[in-house]
Amino acid sequence: MIIIKLWLLFLIIGGITIDMKCGLEIHVQLKTDSKLFCDCSTNYKEAPANTNICPVCLNQPGTKPFPTNEKALKNALTIALMLNCKIDKDITYFMRKHYDYPDLPSGYQRTSVPIGYEGDLNGIKIREIHMEEDPGQFKPDFGIVDFNRSGIPLVEIVTEPDMHSPEEAREFLKELIRVLNYSECARGEGTMRADVNISLEGGNRAEIKNINSIKGAYKSLKFEMIRQKNLIKRGVEVKQETRAFLESQMITVAMRTKEDADDYRFIPDPDLPPIKVQKKQLEEVSETIPEAPHNKVKRFIEEYDIDEESAKTLTSELKLANAYEIVVKSIDPKFAAMWMRDELKRVLTYNKLDFKESEISAENIIELLNLLNDKKITTKVGQRIIEKMPKNKNSPKEIAEELGLIGVVEKDEVLDTAKKTISENEAAVSDYKKGKETSLNFLVGQVMKLTRGKADPGETVKILKELIDN
Amino acid sequence: MNTFEKLQAIKNQDLKATDNLESFLKKIENNNSSINAFLTINKDSARNKAKEIDDKIAKGANVGSLAGLVFGIKANINVEDEIISAASKTLEDYQSSYDATVIKRIKEQDGIIIGMCNMDEFAAGSSTESSYFGATDNPAAPGHIPGGSSGGSAAAIAAEMCDITLGSDTGGSIRNPASHCGVFGFKPTYGAVSRQGLLDLSMSLDQIGPLADDVSGMAVALDTIVGYDKTECTSLNQEFPVFTEVINQNSEKLQDYMKDMKVLCINQFSDVTDDHINNIIDDSVAKIKNMGAEVVDSSFNYIDLCLPTYYLINYVEFFSATRKYDGRKYGYKIEDVCGEEVLRRIEMGSYISQQEFSGKYYKKALQARSLIRNEINKLLSDADLILGPTVPKLPHKIGEKLEPMEMYAYDVLTVIANLAGIPAGSMKAGEYNGIPVGLQLQAKPNGDVKIIKAMAALNH
Repeated sequence: MIIIKLWLLFLIIGGITIDMKCGLEIHVQLKTDSKLFCDCSTNYKEAPANTNICPVCLNQPGTKPFPTNEKALKNALTIALMLNCKIDKDITYFMRKHYDYPDLPSGYQRTSVPIGYEGDLNGIKIREIHMEEDPGQFKPDFGIVDFNRSGIPLVEIVTEPDMHSPEEAREFLKELIRVLNYSECARGEGTMRADVNISLEGGNRAEIKNINSIKGAYKSLKFEMIRQKNLIKRGVEVKQETRAFLESQMITVAMRTKEDADDYRFIPDPDLPPIKVQKKQLEEVSETIPEAPHNKVKRFIEEYDIDEESAKTLTSELKLANAYEIVVKSIDPKFAAMWMRDELKRVLTYNKLDFKESEISAENIIELLNLLNDKKITTKVGQRIIEKMPKNKNSPKEIAEELGLIGVVEKDEVLDTAKKTISENEAAVSDYKKGKETSLNFLVGQVMKLTRGKADPGETVKILKELIDN
Repeated sequence: MNTFEKLQAIKNQDLKATDNLESFLKKIENNNSSINAFLTINKDSARNKAKEIDDKIAKGANVGSLAGLVFGIKANINVEDEIISAASKTLEDYQSSYDATVIKRIKEQDGIIIGMCNMDEFAAGSSTESSYFGATDNPAAPGHIPGGSSGGSAAAIAAEMCDITLGSDTGGSIRNPASHCGVFGFKPTYGAVSRQGLLDLSMSLDQIGPLADDVSGMAVALDTIVGYDKTECTSLNQEFPVFTEVINQNSEKLQDYMKDMKVLCINQFSDVTDDHINNIIDDSVAKIKNMGAEVVDSSFNYIDLCLPTYYLINYVEFFSATRKYDGRKYGYKIEDVCGEEVLRRIEMGSYISQQEFSGKYYKKALQARSLIRNEINKLLSDADLILGPTVPKLPHKIGEKLEPMEMYAYDVLTVIANLAGIPAGSMKAGEYNGIPVGLQLQAKPNGDVKIIKAMAALNH
């Protein structure tokens, strides 16, 4: 008896590793000026509640959808192709998915049959991609439903249950958002809504709804994994059910079980005849799609012989990646990668800008790197110049001249300055002699200050050491 | 005075638009309380419009092609500011915020909209008895149903309360009451008239069309409402004939027109029809033979398939269309306040569209529909028209209790045109015991003009 109890205790405390499977359904708004089935504007966040509306997106009695927004279809096709999906060349049409909720003025949501399927992103398989219309926003706190959002086109991306940890799901989502940003066809994480399916070995699948961010997806999976693990360990059955994620508390709560799951009563929408995706249209889209970031990473590593970390950083933004490819036409790719990955990204992060917003051009970067290559400036000065480059109309050379930073200080001058520094900082010198290494750094800093950073730091250390030691 | 002549008279100010309107308003005032053809009348806006037209003409300004004609509109077609109730308590307070495409076109052409016509609740019926606002009497056969669902639209014409009405036809809802009330009614080719603004019964079958008491009125109305609408996806993007040009010829030419026609009479249509109706249709057949038409007896083997196919599609699409009446935006939840036929269709639609029956009912119905469409098109491939009765039996007395299947049987000859998407019209062929009997003409898709021509010839 005691042995059994101990065994159980061991199981509970020690934990058994349980395999987890997770699949995602991600909805992101497509970038279009007008809604999917009417001419209303899509800037729903800026507009006062219920001003971007018309009888069609309110689904007033008698209204019929206008023809499907072509830009939305094109955007969805672009995303599908970037995720390596197969495209059904024949026809696409919309189904009516019926459910009853205050934000849904027609009582059904129009959702297309898959327009792309069997794609992949970094080894995670994409099951299918749909177009959908966004419902309005039910705001119980204000006692209103705002229909500004009603009818905005969405793309829904459904993955296979290929992810095995919350971390993997988070990585996938980050990468997906990057692809969507690259595509310039979608509105990004701010409009993301995701449903997450998670099942653990020995349990049933739970679907978590109401997730609005990558962090939310990660947190809900973490919570759900622990919750399900504990149930399985205690021998309690994990029910097949739909759960809601409560963002404020970072937990999930039961919504409904399989038995009372909704039946959406799908029917093809009789108001929207099937659309034939024209071969020509598809070819046009194929020709103009940007290379997906994960494909670009692979190519950068191979083509420019740089490490994966650098390639990932450089492809984090399409404009940055494009600039890099211009820079390497005249600069050594590894040298360029180092500067653009470390120094440029540091400056951008510090200024909270992305590369596009910084207004830094590839030509500016080439000029800066040439100054460094030609030893017209030191690394230190290079760093100072790059700090000044965001949103600056002046070129690096002009910045350097303006700040009097051009030129590398000759050894003689460094020697003079070092001597001067030693004589003026006796305390630091004696500290250093007593073994305080940081004092040397202080002295180097003084020399750099006096030479306006034009002294070579390595050289300066050498000279200072020699002077003090002798 | 036919409609062409009336339009001319108004243009010449031999007849003022205002006088035309006032004579109708008087009839409505005298008779509508007993006939109940109109649910609402908007005297003020109609009078203003009529005066505006007369003023324009007096000033020598241009007026539209419908200038001065008075229209009644079925209460399921959106007219801005009007109560579009679809004869249901569900929408008794729904004031429309927009004009349907057909209404925009009528207003652009200076038609005068006088009010909204009674109908079966949500157009789900064939007698206009299911209106929340009470039944409509048949002016041509008082005490009998006017047919439906556009019973108010047909009765308004028969009682001479306006020049032209619009109805909607999903399985015969224009042609059936036209037949019972002895007027002209026409359902165009699916997609010829925009459905933008028409309340849904069954979206893949619904079509708006006109009712009038002469062919020129039908042609004038069709020229206005037929045409491509880029805001409605099932609208046909193509050239359409000018109906008024086709029939605006001298009478001999119209008679000659029948000479080139090959007309089919379908055996199965007369098999399901009462004899006294068949006898009257036979007279029309003899008449067109005299005009030189070639009449051929033909066969359509799927008549038993038509009603089940029609109702399965109707139930599912109607269920879907009514989900918006959830009680939040329009006051009442439809299931809480609707009549039994509407409720039956919603419940049946909900039942058969369940996931577990996916493929069993609705998909099968769509397949059967393709079969029916192909078969009809095959029949019409080397013929111009199909001629036969519109309704297989005479209208019952108002209040007489019918089983649902008996009520559905009224539609057996009219649903085919909706299932096949082809044009079809009904006109009076004669009377039996004083009750009008309608003749139906059907043509292949886009053969609308052939039907209008044949109607003009037969009416001559």
